[in-house]
Amino acid sequence: MKLLGLLMGCALAAGAASNDTFLIRDADVYPVTGPVMKGVSVLVQDGKIADIAPKIVAPKGIRVVDAKGLRVYPGMIDSATELGLQEIELVRETEDTGELGEFMPQLRALSAVNPASEHFPVVRVNGITSVMTFPSSGSTGGGGGGGRFGGTERQFISGQAALIHTDGWTWDDMAIKPGAAVHLIFPAMPRAGRGGAAAIETTPTEVAGSAAATGVTAAKRTYDEQIAKVNQFFDDARNYQKAKAADLPGFRRNLKFEAMIPVLDGKVPVAISASRASAIHDAVQFADKQRVKIVILQPRDVAKAAPELKAKDIPIVLGRVLALPENEDDAYDAPHTLAAEAYKVGVKFAFGTFGNEFVRNLPYEAAAAVAFGLPYDEALKALTINPAQIWGVADQIGSIEKGKWADLTVTNGDPLEIQTEYKHIYIKGREVELTNRQTELYRKYSNRP
Amino acid sequence: MKKIVFAAMIALAPLSAQTVAIRNATILTVTKGTIKGDILIRDGKIAEVGEKVLIPGDAAIIDATGQYVIPGLIDCHSHIAVDGGVNEGSISDSSITNIKDVIDPEDIAIYRALAGGVTTAHILHGSANSVGGQTITLKMRWGKDAQGLIFEGAAPGLKFALGENPKRSGNPTGRTATGAAPAARYPATRMGVEDVIRESFTEAKAYQAEWSEYRAKVARGESPIPPRRDLRLDPLVEILEGTRMVHCHGYRADELLMMLHVSEDFGFKISVFVHGLEGYKIAKEIAARGAGVTTFSDWWAYKVEAMDAIPYNAAILQKAGVLVSLNSDDAELMRHLNIEAAKVMKYGGLSESEALAMVTINPAKQLRIDRRVGSIEAGKDADLAIYDKYPLSASAKTVKVLIDGTVYFDREKALSEAAAKQTERQRLIEKEKQNQQQNRQQPARRPSA
Amino acid sequence: MNKLTTALLLFCACAAAQTHTAVAIRNAKIVPVGGPVLSKGTVVIRDGLIVDVGENVQAPPDAAVVEGEGMTVYPGLIDALSTWGIPGAAAAAAGGRGATAGRGATPATPAPAPAAPAAATTPSRGPEDRPQTTSWLNAADELSPTDPRIATARAAGFTSAVVFPTRGIFAGQGAIIDLLSAERPGAMVVAQGAGQYISLTAGGRGGGGGGGGGFPGSLMGEIAYVRQVYLDAQHYALVKEAYARSPRGMARPEYDRALEGVLESKRILLPAGRLVEIDRMLRFAAELKQPAILYGVREGYRPEAVDLLKKAGAPVLVSMHWPEPPRDPDPELVESLRTLQTRDQAASAPALLRKAGVPFALYSDGLDQARDLQRAVKKAIDAGLSRDDAIRALTLSPAEIYGVADRLGSIEKGKIGNLVVTRGDLFDDRTKVEMVFVDGVKYIPPPETPPAGGGRGQTAETPGGVR
Repeated sequence: MKLLGLLMGCALAAGAASNDTFLIRDADVYPVTGPVMKGVSVLVQDGKIADIAPKIVAPKGIRVVDAKGLRVYPGMIDSATELGLQEIELVRETEDTGELGEFMPQLRALSAVNPASEHFPVVRVNGITSVMTFPSSGSTGGGGGGGRFGGTERQFISGQAALIHTDGWTWDDMAIKPGAAVHLIFPAMPRAGRGGAAAIETTPTEVAGSAAATGVTAAKRTYDEQIAKVNQFFDDARNYQKAKAADLPGFRRNLKFEAMIPVLDGKVPVAISASRASAIHDAVQFADKQRVKIVILQPRDVAKAAPELKAKDIPIVLGRVLALPENEDDAYDAPHTLAAEAYKVGVKFAFGTFGNEFVRNLPYEAAAAVAFGLPYDEALKALTINPAQIWGVADQIGSIEKGKWADLTVTNGDPLEIQTEYKHIYIKGREVELTNRQTELYRKYSNRP
Repeated sequence: MKKIVFAAMIALAPLSAQTVAIRNATILTVTKGTIKGDILIRDGKIAEVGEKVLIPGDAAIIDATGQYVIPGLIDCHSHIAVDGGVNEGSISDSSITNIKDVIDPEDIAIYRALAGGVTTAHILHGSANSVGGQTITLKMRWGKDAQGLIFEGAAPGLKFALGENPKRSGNPTGRTATGAAPAARYPATRMGVEDVIRESFTEAKAYQAEWSEYRAKVARGESPIPPRRDLRLDPLVEILEGTRMVHCHGYRADELLMMLHVSEDFGFKISVFVHGLEGYKIAKEIAARGAGVTTFSDWWAYKVEAMDAIPYNAAILQKAGVLVSLNSDDAELMRHLNIEAAKVMKYGGLSESEALAMVTINPAKQLRIDRRVGSIEAGKDADLAIYDKYPLSASAKTVKVLIDGTVYFDREKALSEAAAKQTERQRLIEKEKQNQQQNRQQPARRPSA
Repeated sequence: MNKLTTALLLFCACAAAQTHTAVAIRNAKIVPVGGPVLSKGTVVIRDGLIVDVGENVQAPPDAAVVEGEGMTVYPGLIDALSTWGIPGAAAAAAGGRGATAGRGATPATPAPAPAAPAAATTPSRGPEDRPQTTSWLNAADELSPTDPRIATARAAGFTSAVVFPTRGIFAGQGAIIDLLSAERPGAMVVAQGAGQYISLTAGGRGGGGGGGGGFPGSLMGEIAYVRQVYLDAQHYALVKEAYARSPRGMARPEYDRALEGVLESKRILLPAGRLVEIDRMLRFAAELKQPAILYGVREGYRPEAVDLLKKAGAPVLVSMHWPEPPRDPDPELVESLRTLQTRDQAASAPALLRKAGVPFALYSDGLDQARDLQRAVKKAIDAGLSRDDAIRALTLSPAEIYGVADRLGSIEKGKIGNLVVTRGDLFDDRTKVEMVFVDGVKYIPPPETPPAGGGRGQTAETPGGVR
């Protein structure tokens, strides 16, 4: 029965794939940025939201979607994935995250995105219409670069993360913001006392090998050297920018530094992988010194770091809510409550799943945060408007407002609840098929004689 | 100081009472529908379940108004609570090893699983070899010693593994510490995996015959020298005799089918295919042989053999008449099996009780402990999880978890205990600092090592 | 380099020891252990044995007399689990151990001795290959009187040690030795066959993934292996016996030195640091039906551990290498409460075991400097162990545990002439070991070596004259 519905959905989608102008009628609209509007219509023209009102006269010949009893939400945003860059975690040939090199801001995740990845259709049927895709996981220790694939070189800047739609014929088509952030894997002190009870959290990159062997004092020295190195790179980039502006004779283009100019101008944030309180603090100091905008990725010590983050208005991308606690004696629900902690202090946050396997469960991660103290409305914001603001695209996506892309999901209930069904999903006003490799296999093998 | 330690110990001791009543709950019994009412527990067993249960005056009352009670969750596939490695990967048949020998009752993962509603877990050897080690079923009786965790009378199992993992050692990559290529260990292909299993059972049959002959001689009054006991072959003989379960890790349909043939050829039954992510492709073959499958709800794409994994697997298998459970294979996933169950309602449209059965009565049947646990019925063990909300949702959390009628997890207590632990940690850290300072003030001393 | 120099110095000091056949220490305080303290008495040693002790004992005319006024005489100390005398077993291997006591920490073991032959080149494919097994080795055959640690230990008051090969799962059999600088190693041996030393290093041998490591590569593999070996030994004995009875027509059983070694061992030493391991190993010993001694016992301070040991009645050897905080720690290192508690309370285990009546002895576990050993004992005393019990745990208790209390462990007529003579209480910080008698031979510890430039354990700022 449900299958039939899906199939009909496909047929419908196929017929209307090029049509990004339509009217949703009689829906309960949850714009996120404003109160719920019951029984209203949403007019979509050329992929954008043209109007939201109780009564909209359908323009002649326009497709009308009857949404009586259904709800309309903005599409959800996962703020940390490797979608399009990684197909199968264990097969190197299918991975394009983790390039070599220490400072690689010129690398563009966007142009390596495989639009035909099987992952996109799988995640978008759960209402995730856009994602940040990162050039390095930054979450799997070694942060890509050398560490992950056997090299010895430590990576600091892995490249430019892209904010993309989860649908499109080409990556051009998918791009919302090609260089939405430059990804910096912040140096971190290694954990001493290996083999003890303290869990070794390898987020982000540990100071490379030899340091651990020679004690923490030495590791601290290496750490300071690495911070100095990162600062030096930013200073060099700034000098380059000045030289370029002055148009000095003999000026040579440098792709690395070119890529840093939007960062130095404050137009693009640096997304910094830093989990421990000291690393977060140092990252904040670094941002102050370099006068750049930053976003902290996957912080663990939220309670400790929050006041400073709040004071500096620095947003964070929380890792998986359902993750295990870091230390043996932590409260059993420690990661579950991070969102509530950030909310209480007033730090702006979004959610990321940091990997590809669990992107489709993004709304359930948010639901778990609600179970452990986050107000429901804030969870919804953290899935929609917050990330749009954090990545500087709140004028394009993240809520149901006039002029924004029509990234819409039409559901029969609360998207945070697992049983909720998606009746229609629109990305840039195009209705996407609610099928994927998995539904196809389901269909095929359900019909096996 | 003594007092603090004492207090901490008291806090850890679970609340125990002869007679306990859970009142005014919504009870999802799994096998007998949903009841709004009470559960009476006597001597660790469920004495009565009903809308109106006569509660004796001496009963300890748990007021569950507005809350939901489900049977304690059962995880058919876990690797927690193990000391010194879950794989004896040095050999292709490690059936000599037994998880029972290395239970670690102080692994914090037990407590965390308990907090996630899990009351019973089947602990398996890893999947590094075609014939793995012996398994054990534990109750999450946090605070008890190793023997106290063992599920009394539960059938033992033996782990088998097919596909990528067992053949990985035959295709070694990387270098050893000395820079040499590591030695390849048979097998390197799926063909070899089959061969290893057939060889082992062939040996086991010969060994079995040797012992039968010996016993026959003894019965005739002769006094022969007994054959050498072979701890590797003993468990295989037990499988042939039906007293030990086969839990066979496998992904691809072809290898699952191979194992079905092996089992037929040697005359044993497969209790459970572990993972069985492509089980849906041969649902009827599996059903025809009466094998069960324990799988993931939606975990996929982490390796090649997980690319055809679909979240509809459980539903297809269930509809084909296969006994299906959902497992964790992971200390984190283990904490939210209720969410995993909810997903099979979404994918494939199973009913609430079918979904819940996959984390309760079905794994109980697969582990041959369904007479004791897996549903809320009079006479069964009082292993119960109480949730604050409808449990087939990510928005719910456990408030209390009982095993044998004893409250082993209580959220409020858990939070105060976590706080007390932190206080005690701080005290010890301060004390140590003071001691070190005192030592420094004493005359110069040599470092001790 | 430096170490070698020190060692040579110490060795020379020993060689200069006197060789009177009879010695009498008189007017000394005598702590015989196992009997009342004599505030003023005489001990007479002749031909290596204690021939008399008492308040009214006269020094024989031919005896060299030691005026014991102001001195105290104790039985020589026994290191209950050691590698002293097995050269190359550098105590340095103990470094780093004890820093953390958390989950997964390897059980305390003495430094590996080089006694075992080099590891086989082909990885073992199963128990039949008898991996990591040298059960047939006897520590008594591996001794070297020139091990510099003998003199170092003697300077701390140790006159005997129970030494073991320690490499491998079945490492070999121990021997009880006297710490003397004999010409021939055989002279050192008091008794051999002290038990089979078993170590389980919990996956530390790089198993797991397979490929290269060989069986066993996990703790469960090691335990299964030990179990199989005992079954094999039983079967082997049976078959051998049958063959000896009537070899005609019967296939000859294959000689298996691994099983021979196991069959010869009258007890086993099992590693057990954490409570979980204590529980596990007590059960394992019962299953194997082998008399067992547990060693390590880092979590012996936990009431559950004490209860278990009390119930089982098995003797334990408590490592004096008390866990210490990590040096140069990461400021954000989060140590578990258990780790912190273990560091705080580990040294209270001896007192608790004593109170519960569990037979126990203390062992050096890599410590070999007099000060470190003294300080380690002091820590147990500070944590509630009486001085008398501390001395007993290093004298009569180990002798009893190993069944040699008829010759070692106390100052009694007829026992071996192993004595420590101190000025002051044995474990006081300022106490000086004046002399040591081993087999009746007097050794004067060299004055605390002034550091000639910072060898191991010696820093330039350490003045020799602190005491």
